[in-house]
Amino acid sequence: MIAACSVIIGIAIWQLGYEGLARTYYFKAYSINHFFASPWQVIQTFGELYRSGELLRHCYFSFLEFVYGFSLAIVVGIPIGFLMAVHKKINYYLDPWVSCIYATPTVALAPIIMVWFGLGIFPNSLVVFLGAVFPILLNTYTGIKSVRENLINVVRAFGGSPLQVFFKVMIPDATPAIIVGLRLAVGRAVISVAVAELFGSEAGLGFMVYFYSQRFLPGPVFVGIVVLVVFGILSFLALEKIQSWLSPWYTYQLQRQVYRMEVE
Amino acid sequence: MEIRASKLVVQNLRKSFRSQRSEESIQVFEGISFAVHPSEFISLVGPSGCGKTTFLRILDGLIPHDDGEILLDGKTVIKPGPDKGFVFQESSLLPWRTVMDNVILGLELQGVDNSAARKKAERYIALVGLAGFEHHYPHELSGGMQQRVNLARALIVDPQVLLMDEPFASLDAQTREIMQAELLKMWNHTKKTVIFVTHQIEEAIYLSDRVVVFSARPARIREIVKVDIPRPRSLSVKRSKEFLDLADHVWDIIQEEVLKSMGREREEGVL
Repeated sequence: MIAACSVIIGIAIWQLGYEGLARTYYFKAYSINHFFASPWQVIQTFGELYRSGELLRHCYFSFLEFVYGFSLAIVVGIPIGFLMAVHKKINYYLDPWVSCIYATPTVALAPIIMVWFGLGIFPNSLVVFLGAVFPILLNTYTGIKSVRENLINVVRAFGGSPLQVFFKVMIPDATPAIIVGLRLAVGRAVISVAVAELFGSEAGLGFMVYFYSQRFLPGPVFVGIVVLVVFGILSFLALEKIQSWLSPWYTYQLQRQVYRMEVE
Repeated sequence: MEIRASKLVVQNLRKSFRSQRSEESIQVFEGISFAVHPSEFISLVGPSGCGKTTFLRILDGLIPHDDGEILLDGKTVIKPGPDKGFVFQESSLLPWRTVMDNVILGLELQGVDNSAARKKAERYIALVGLAGFEHHYPHELSGGMQQRVNLARALIVDPQVLLMDEPFASLDAQTREIMQAELLKMWNHTKKTVIFVTHQIEEAIYLSDRVVVFSARPARIREIVKVDIPRPRSLSVKRSKEFLDLADHVWDIIQEEVLKSMGREREEGVL
């Protein structure tokens, strides 16, 4: 309720600010429509782009990059994170490389990836993959590493096999941490989609933002940004739902920890 | 030693740990031997840090030992299994499972049919007084209730011996007293052999047929104190002269051991 009010107030300030700026001396000389767009104009532009089919084409392109890159990040990140957590030697071999590539800004890699693979969905997905894989990998690693030993001992004490320990304790106990990794990765993946398309692309929301800003048309630029933001928020919320559905007990424990910290 | 009539026999058990900081190994136990009769309730007490918990885990087969032998019903214990039920110290319930799903864990791991396991679990949940809470999650239960679930989970596999590692340590004093009385009732009902580790001398004496007193590290058995208080014991037994004398006696031994180990540590420059 308060959140909704806050958003509405923010949009109102945006609209008023636009109206105010348009009346200044400076913007009487230069048309304000080359620099800013009001929320109302953004909505109008959204309608136009939607009707012409241009917006959907860009969304489709960006969405594909997101899905390919993010799926690949999951398929690669979770198993490697798991192997590094349970196998010391693998950890020794991979750790320097993981830290090294993790520290590399993927933005810096995007241009060279374009050089190697050209323009298109594949190189962009690769940039998304690089952005998303590390939060997933590192959180899987931490999640498996911090599986509670006393819970493992419970299953062992009943004569449980290593496989049973894996499925009945390690997976469920690590799930919350892995989902936290996915949630962090969603944000980075959305950023990577935009960055990859800024550097070179033929379509996509990032491309759209770049294309129209070069032509001094702020309307479509803000449409692109707003769609990216909404997509990011929605996927973040979706993962939150998945988390409370997969491990409802975890949300409770988290709340209790926070409560304890406040009490102490 | 009367091996044949005993449920559980420990012979000359030895264990040392490699210290993490230095290469030298730390002797935890040297030459521990004792025998437990069927359906006997035994408590282990000793100065803190003497390795009671380690000892219990070795009995279960969770930790390997260096030397000596453990026989359960005449068979050597090598690994954990459903012939031993372990009740862990603090909350060791799987937080993503309901009471019911926690209790059937042992049966599930053995591959028992799910509906049969559930039927059996209902009986054990009722036995520990938690009927109606089958579908609650551990975080919805109080500490005392969680330990009841723990107990039901250990009992359902029908173990030959019940190993309990300070199960009531984290409970408040009132709940602990109630749980002690309940445990005795259940023990009377199931006639299990119980080995109960605690740091509470009172608790050990109240529950047990015999109390095994460990020395400071490296742990040996200082004394096995027989508790000749008739059963069933009401809580008021704890105020009888007999009971208090026994508690004083055990307390004296432990105090002596604690002082001894403190003196030794002072000599070694640890303190």
